Amino acid sequence: MPIAYPSQRVAYPYFAIALLLFVLQIVFGIWIASNYAFNLPQGLVDVFPFNFARPIHTNLLVLWLLLGFMGSTYYMIPEESGRDLFSTKLAYLQLVILVGTGVAALVGFVLRWTSGRPLLEIPFTLDILVVIGALIFLFNVGLTLIRARKWTVTQGSLLGGLVFLALLYLFDLPFYRNLTIDWYYWWWVIHLWVEGAWELVAAALTAFLLMKITGVPRATVEKWLYVELGLFLFTGIAGTGHHYYWLGAPHYWIWVGGVFSALEPLPIILMLWDAWKHVKERQIPMASPLVFLYAVGMAIYHVIGAGFWGFVHTLPPINYYTHGSQVTVSHGHVAFFGAYVLLNLTFFYYAVPRLKGFTKFNERPGRIGFWWMSLTMMGMGLAFGVAGVLQAYIERVMGFGFMTAQAQMQFWFQILVFFGLSMLAAVAYTVANILTLKPSPVAGGSGNDLKKTS
Amino acid sequence: MSPKAARAIFYLGTLISLILFLALTVDTHRQVQTLTHADQLSDQVVSGKRVWQKYNCNDCHTILGFGAYYAPDMTKVYWRRGAEGIRAMVKNPELYTTWRKMPNQHVSDKEIDDLIAFFKWTSEIDNNNWPPQDAKLRATERKVVALGVSSGAVLFQEKGCFGCHKLFGTGVTVGPELTHVGGRLDHNTIEKILDNPRSVNPKATMPQIPLSHEQRDQLADFLTGLK
Repeated sequence: MPIAYPSQRVAYPYFAIALLLFVLQIVFGIWIASNYAFNLPQGLVDVFPFNFARPIHTNLLVLWLLLGFMGSTYYMIPEESGRDLFSTKLAYLQLVILVGTGVAALVGFVLRWTSGRPLLEIPFTLDILVVIGALIFLFNVGLTLIRARKWTVTQGSLLGGLVFLALLYLFDLPFYRNLTIDWYYWWWVIHLWVEGAWELVAAALTAFLLMKITGVPRATVEKWLYVELGLFLFTGIAGTGHHYYWLGAPHYWIWVGGVFSALEPLPIILMLWDAWKHVKERQIPMASPLVFLYAVGMAIYHVIGAGFWGFVHTLPPINYYTHGSQVTVSHGHVAFFGAYVLLNLTFFYYAVPRLKGFTKFNERPGRIGFWWMSLTMMGMGLAFGVAGVLQAYIERVMGFGFMTAQAQMQFWFQILVFFGLSMLAAVAYTVANILTLKPSPVAGGSGNDLKKTS
Repeated sequence: MSPKAARAIFYLGTLISLILFLALTVDTHRQVQTLTHADQLSDQVVSGKRVWQKYNCNDCHTILGFGAYYAPDMTKVYWRRGAEGIRAMVKNPELYTTWRKMPNQHVSDKEIDDLIAFFKWTSEIDNNNWPPQDAKLRATERKVVALGVSSGAVLFQEKGCFGCHKLFGTGVTVGPELTHVGGRLDHNTIEKILDNPRSVNPKATMPQIPLSHEQRDQLADFLTGLK
């Protein structure tokens, strides 16, 4: 069934821009990996140094994921509340503000305009624009829900996550005199985003998709949603402590952070079990096997990258040697891919055909893209991981010095550049596929299900 | 599980974690004053932090283990390099880096002074002995100078000489190893090098370390004794 509310269409430009930024993100990723893998001339390093290329890679990631979440929210809210969006004009205005701010930030990095805090480099002036964009978004979504007067747990989780996300961003705004306090609150943005607010958004979008594609009753899906959210927040909030071990904060954070973050895989495993169970007990025929593949793939990858890798890396005796090494980078890449990249792509593969007025399309390219990206990311995670273990052992355990370790790791970064090129091709292929989907009488590989429907 | 129980898990789980977290945050604010020696957080240290942010140093280096992983951690750099080692590196990175390079960002002399004050302050943060390699190095350095038990030996560690020179297997080999330097150079030559490194070898990249006459003499005494 195509979309029921015309205002859902605002989602499409959000998705399209997000996907193009995704491709650009990988291009800069390959560039910064090359900085590790090869010896660059001093003249080039002086003109375009690593420290102004990396923020382009990371800020593009945050920007496109957030645009994806916002587009998905605009798609989902009308169907959940049974009412068109409060204003499509505001939605477009918000998109222009956020993308404009993004472009200004990227050009700014090349010109060395920065606030100097990793991942949150954009200067104060641009921060204000981001806050304005976020306020328009919350206003628009909030007013739609208030006018509809229909509250669901899924909506609550989504709106709660978005408000929480916006509030936490405020902790980025001040200048902190004390470095320790600075990092203490930096994690309120970074950690409480990805292991708090974003998980609420992700859980809501996943619950919405599961209801739509499996037909499992709302009461069942939302009951488990409550349990997952409870566990996410229980482990995630105090779990922030796993960033406070070596910060100059009190010693008890080693215990609080260690214990709570050891529990963090629980909600993720529950989410996988939950998705798997709903898919197995589906009440309606499988309209799009590709969306199922993505949804289950996302849940499994989430468990590996965020759950397992995160669990190992945050145990304090291990973290003493792996903290701030390439092990962190390995965990970051696999976890973000599993938790948030695949989530966005799952949603896009569900929503884009419907926005274009059909549900069945040739799914072969989508499947190829999924396996190509997922296997490449495994390779990347392993290459970063091997480099990280070498670093932890040579630099931290043996005490041989930073550059001695880096020399031994260089080979793995050359492998990484290769995987990066593979990832670029895979992402470009997938993005091109999503943006050019065409209706097809038969969705790939679902012959049996189709017969049942007719 | 009943829907009621599911809701209870949500509210209870969230509240318990939130209350614990906020309570510990209040206590952390209290304890950080001591752990970070907040009384020594002078305006110059804060200016140094602004320099650190202005040049986006943190997107190559980590500090307290956070940031980018392209270049060494800066938490205890003051132990490793000393004030003059840091100054030399920031001013002319092209002289001291080989295959992975640091950009010359044309940081002013005043900014470098502030940056050094900032690093001096961060090196004293009590952070459970992290990073392990710097904690270990510091301990070994102390043992090595204890062999000397002279004021010159102590100066050797305090001025960050280990940041470029090796002594009994400890330290870095940016500059020549000094374990047997007393056999190669006499007291006078060493004093001359310390006074102006380029006076003996015009191509030397060693920075000039500000030392009093007496300190120079003590350091040269210690080094000539290493035969």
